[in-house]
Amino acid sequence: MLVPDYSAAGIAVRQDLKDCHALLLHHVTAPGTWWTGAERRAIAEESRLATTCSLCRQRKDALSLNAVQGKHDSTGELPGDVVDVIHRIRTDPQRLSRDWFERVVPEILSDAHYVELVGVVTMMAGMDNFARAFGVAPFTLPAAKPGEPSRHRPASAKPGTAWVPMIDVTDADGPEADMYPQAPFVPNIMRAMSLVPDQVRALRRSSDAHYLPVQQIPDPTARRTIDRMQMELVAARVSALNECFY
Amino acid sequence: MNGTDVDLSAVNGSTGSDAGIEHGARLIAFTEAVMGNDETALKRERAALRTLLTDEQFVDVVATIGAFNVVDRVADSTGIPLDDMMKMMGADLGRGLNLRRFRSSANTRED
Repeated sequence: MLVPDYSAAGIAVRQDLKDCHALLLHHVTAPGTWWTGAERRAIAEESRLATTCSLCRQRKDALSLNAVQGKHDSTGELPGDVVDVIHRIRTDPQRLSRDWFERVVPEILSDAHYVELVGVVTMMAGMDNFARAFGVAPFTLPAAKPGEPSRHRPASAKPGTAWVPMIDVTDADGPEADMYPQAPFVPNIMRAMSLVPDQVRALRRSSDAHYLPVQQIPDPTARRTIDRMQMELVAARVSALNECFY
Repeated sequence: MNGTDVDLSAVNGSTGSDAGIEHGARLIAFTEAVMGNDETALKRERAALRTLLTDEQFVDVVATIGAFNVVDRVADSTGIPLDDMMKMMGADLGRGLNLRRFRSSANTRED
């Protein structure tokens, strides 16, 4: 698997993070559940391109979500309405609403295609912000892998309080038995993408390496080389800047 | 969390103070620089933070920034509500930070 080049920062990166980044880069370019490897790679590229898109920049400055119309700076590999979904999730997630979601699903994307797209777009946001903070170039995306999507829709995913169907912790059995951590509390953020179980598995790997394993989160003494208060201060400031209530 | 008094206002923007947390001011300034568009500020804040932290600590700060740029977008694009347990634990915190001003608060019912 392709390992990112961290050398420009002149600092060693712990092995679990390196492994995680290599895995995620493979994950976003391999066949998924509903999208092919080539499509997932195109979604990843669009997620990255959104950060320099002039339409996105104008929209971010506008008072309302739809005040500015136009064409996104895009690779051209995906349909325009899918590109718009990707760019909005990447650059303006704070203004997404159920109304907006209901115009996307099912007209533009099925709920499952949407959830998988969310997974790829958001993983790229995480890796790109890591690289930016660290002081290295965005990680090179490997070539797309051939193969067909699995098309596995978990029978236990049910509509509920979120916009997308999710799997309750008590219903995660069979092929989904490994999906959630064995913990007294599994937060909604872990359930959010459970319509596409492999996205949950990727999020867990990402969260374990970049933050804390889910089982440790409720423990106030859990920490890394920075203490828990420092971690939560940084996390809270990121979320405030992203205007994220959750 | 552990009995330490923290200045909540730091989460909503730089106050210049450490907010009761070691290197808090520099952590906030660095986070803001990463999330912003000023490359000069980012280089400056990265260099300033690195004088205060070990390499391992710096990596953990960077990783936390990466993690929450994932989590925030997953939450906002799936419309998940705040978990009841977290709502209960964080009620005062949420009010103190005026989190209901964020549009995504609409995904969580107010009690």
